[in-house]
Amino acid sequence: MSTIEQALWDYIDGNLNEFSKKAIEEKIESTAEIKAQYEELLKLNSAFNALDLDEPSMSFTRNVMDNIALAPAPVAMKTKVDKKIIYGISGFFIISLLSLFGYVLYNSNLSTSKFGFNTNLNFNLAQYITPTVLYSFLFFDLVIGLVFLDQFLRKKIAQQ
Amino acid sequence: MEQNNTDLALIQKVLNGETDQYALLVKRHQRFVFTLALRFSKNREDAEEIAQDCFVKAYKALGTFKQTAKFSTWLYTITYTTAMTFLRKKRLDTTSIHDEDTVLQLENQHAVFNADGYEKQDSHAFLNIAITQLLPDDAAIITLFYKGEQSLEEIGEALHMEPNTIKVKLHRARQRLKEKLQYLLKDEVKELL
Repeated sequence: MSTIEQALWDYIDGNLNEFSKKAIEEKIESTAEIKAQYEELLKLNSAFNALDLDEPSMSFTRNVMDNIALAPAPVAMKTKVDKKIIYGISGFFIISLLSLFGYVLYNSNLSTSKFGFNTNLNFNLAQYITPTVLYSFLFFDLVIGLVFLDQFLRKKIAQQ
Repeated sequence: MEQNNTDLALIQKVLNGETDQYALLVKRHQRFVFTLALRFSKNREDAEEIAQDCFVKAYKALGTFKQTAKFSTWLYTITYTTAMTFLRKKRLDTTSIHDEDTVLQLENQHAVFNADGYEKQDSHAFLNIAITQLLPDDAAIITLFYKGEQSLEEIGEALHMEPNTIKVKLHRARQRLKEKLQYLLKDEVKELL
């Protein structure tokens, strides 16, 4: 396809900026050959616009509705996710963090000297992070992960 | 835009439990989805199956539809992927319009029209014959652009291509369609256009 034909199509489609539009308009006005080509493309464009759409069978809509009759009714995604689960997980982590922070504050020794603060944050966290605590924490995470995996797989199956 | 709002309103109703409202959405878009499916499959029975499958998939996934986009664009994306999957399964022959067999088929079609005493050269009929002889992608792009009221960006989204690629393909498809019309109508193409 020639560059001028492509430019003419872009002009017909309205894809040109002001500068290019003026340039092609000048060419159409000044050159008889380009004007003829433009008019031919315009007619072709009108013909393409008049293309017919095909009609499916009379029972098409009924067939579709029959097919979906047994499928579960669609629900908006935002309502599919149970908010209680999200709030439960957020609550767990917030309480864990606050408890840890409170414990640290409780066990720290804040004292002020004459010329300023002398903060003693001396505590031994290692005695509380025992293997049992770690395993419990990981086990809880694993359960949450499995719940999400279950929901994800259910959604996949529902989509199929 | 009004149509788009109505689509969204219907979708909302379906999502709220009025599932029978989906029939209105089907009726509204069935001709276009069927035509698009036909552009790919080149066969009415297959196109009907693809189009039905498309509407069923759209129904099941309606909850995931982002209501900021046009429903039609989303539906055409599903049509494209469903048609591609269907074609891959059936391994349909999607030959080029320049292939020998296709040319023979076209000659026969032209002969049939003459033999039937097709006196009035109906431009729509010839145009529809010509478009069925295009490559599936070209035919789909022409259909989406002219009948689907889709922008280059939306067509790109539906066919999983860049808008610039669509633009180039659209130019090429028009050129091929014009050549096809010239082949079918020979000297009469000038009168037609």
